[in-house]
Amino acid sequence: MDWTAIRLLYLSELRSALRERSVLINGILVPLLMYPLMMWVMFSGILFVTARFESFASRVEIAGLPAEHRGILDSLDEDGRTGINEVAAPPAGAASAYREEVEERLLAGELDAALIFEATGDPPGNAAVSLLSNGSSDRSRSARGRLERALSAERSAWLERIAARHGLDGAEWQVFDVRSNNLATGRQMGQFLMGMLIPLFFVIMIANGCLYPAIDSTAGERERNTWETTSTLATRRLNVVTAKYLYVATMGTVAGALNAAAMVVSFRSFLGPLFARLGGGDGGGLAFELPLGSLPVLFLTAVLLGALIGAAMMILAAFARTFKEGQSMVTPVILLVVFPVIVLNDPGMAFTPALAGIPVVNVVLLLRQAIAGNVLWLQLGITVLANGAAIVACLWIASRVLRIEEIATGAFEGNFFQFLRRQLRPAGGKA
Amino acid sequence: MSTVQVEVQGLSKNFFDQSRGEVNAVQQVDFECRRGEILGLLGANGAGKTTTLRMISTVLQPTSGTARVLGHDVASEPVEVRRNLGFYSASTALYPRLTARETLTLFARVNKYPAERTKSRVEEMIERFGLGEYAGVRIEKLSSGMKQKVSIARTVVHDPPVLIFDEPTVGLDVLNALDLQKAIQELREDGKAILFSTHIMSEAERLCDRIAIIDKGRLRACADLEGLRAATSRHYLEDIFVHYVTSHETPDQD
Repeated sequence: MDWTAIRLLYLSELRSALRERSVLINGILVPLLMYPLMMWVMFSGILFVTARFESFASRVEIAGLPAEHRGILDSLDEDGRTGINEVAAPPAGAASAYREEVEERLLAGELDAALIFEATGDPPGNAAVSLLSNGSSDRSRSARGRLERALSAERSAWLERIAARHGLDGAEWQVFDVRSNNLATGRQMGQFLMGMLIPLFFVIMIANGCLYPAIDSTAGERERNTWETTSTLATRRLNVVTAKYLYVATMGTVAGALNAAAMVVSFRSFLGPLFARLGGGDGGGLAFELPLGSLPVLFLTAVLLGALIGAAMMILAAFARTFKEGQSMVTPVILLVVFPVIVLNDPGMAFTPALAGIPVVNVVLLLRQAIAGNVLWLQLGITVLANGAAIVACLWIASRVLRIEEIATGAFEGNFFQFLRRQLRPAGGKA
Repeated sequence: MSTVQVEVQGLSKNFFDQSRGEVNAVQQVDFECRRGEILGLLGANGAGKTTTLRMISTVLQPTSGTARVLGHDVASEPVEVRRNLGFYSASTALYPRLTARETLTLFARVNKYPAERTKSRVEEMIERFGLGEYAGVRIEKLSSGMKQKVSIARTVVHDPPVLIFDEPTVGLDVLNALDLQKAIQELREDGKAILFSTHIMSEAERLCDRIAIIDKGRLRACADLEGLRAATSRHYLEDIFVHYVTSHETPDQD
């Protein structure tokens, strides 16, 4: 190996890439800005929808409200955004007609929700309650929510009063006093959520970071007629391929590392406050922080995935004669590497030494463990070895493929599979 | 007699073509090129000129026969061959996103020009080919004339003793083509051995010390213009060319 030539070619590839808009966008800007932007949009969207939902003035009708439950009206009056039309219970024979008329008004949008009480008699105050609303209307859903909250509050107050009359305290009439206690700290819960989300986007971003450089440095060179120029350089083809491969792997790794950093920052800046808002101000107890010890592992996984995906993409891109051909040949690699991530998105899956032997799968599990603050050294070692072997195998295949003259010069013609058959034929039959 | 720099013996190349099947692109070609000489390969399109030159430059592997550049075999010592060779053709484009200076530096360094002298050599090339104003501009932003100058500069920046120009004037306007011819003549005066392929008779006549006529992959003749005239009793190169490609006569080689 001529490391001086490799370094010169590698730096030249990187310099070229950093002057190319597509590489900058796909390899740096998208991984870096996608998540802050995505989460900002999500955050703003949720706030907007919530605010809009809460701002609706509700038009509700309450029929046959028992005197014992006037408290419902007080609850509804509290927010000042509920217009209440209270009517007497319809006569026994007219109940069905009244209900139909209310339903018509709801569907026509003249009314947002209705409560119809039908007294059951004993004990006094007990009633069957129909809550009518139109689920296809935001205003109606908002009104329904307000009525449900008012009913629930009134039911609790009513039961408490009855219990008090019988000399029972809260714990006694509720039978079970459930005191739930999540032993996971907010930080652990945050890490659990990050472990579910980060690997998927991380793999996609690394694959995306490798995609353009892999095609550009092979098929792109053929399309620009620079492949032959490179072929005349006074260095072995293996050195040229190594330099190109290192460039592709670097771009993938950089995309992954930037993406992980951006995601952690986004989680802390957007998702934390969002949970805090949705969780009623206590922050949901979630803290999105990565343990410091997991950062080297995170970087290692970016390197391993960048190196493996880059090598796999270069094998396929080596066959492409044009950029378009390269895109259609290499894109399936993204699907192949994303598939195990989706399948493995089960938080209960243990990272066993056997799973550590499967490339890509092992990196995803290693990443998840690292985010959770656990580093399993045996599995880490197996992961590095397994991926290292896969990378070497891919590079060996890529160098064999590029030794085929027709591929190296981009001169093979006709159907790709016919070409492969010709190559696999015994030497006598080969041109 | 000047030193033989390029020696080609029985060089052949077969390949598979989707529509034609097995094709014998070059068959048993022999010639040599000496220091300070321009040897022209003259042939119609598809005659086998480019394939021959690509084998000498190690881009393609010969099916049989040998080619040596300064004694280095193209099949077994390709890196040494490339180190001693500059290859220019219409299909050796420049890296569009590098500047002229970066391109020259890359080619000088990878082609093993001494690191400590690379900077001054690159500046010398920039000066010689009039690239000064554009040396820091990306190749993609240069005019075709300037690109051509950068291409020649990158071909010679590592000071190789052998140069190959494969139909270098294709697609160039008259003035740029004349500039290029002038540059090639200067390189001959510098003592380079130059292989120059063309299908333009006037170009071959003007530039080449000897002319090798190639037709259907075979070398039909190789001599200086006077030798070809004497062998064919024809004066104009066009007539000489037609004579060889129609009769397939092979005069004695020099």
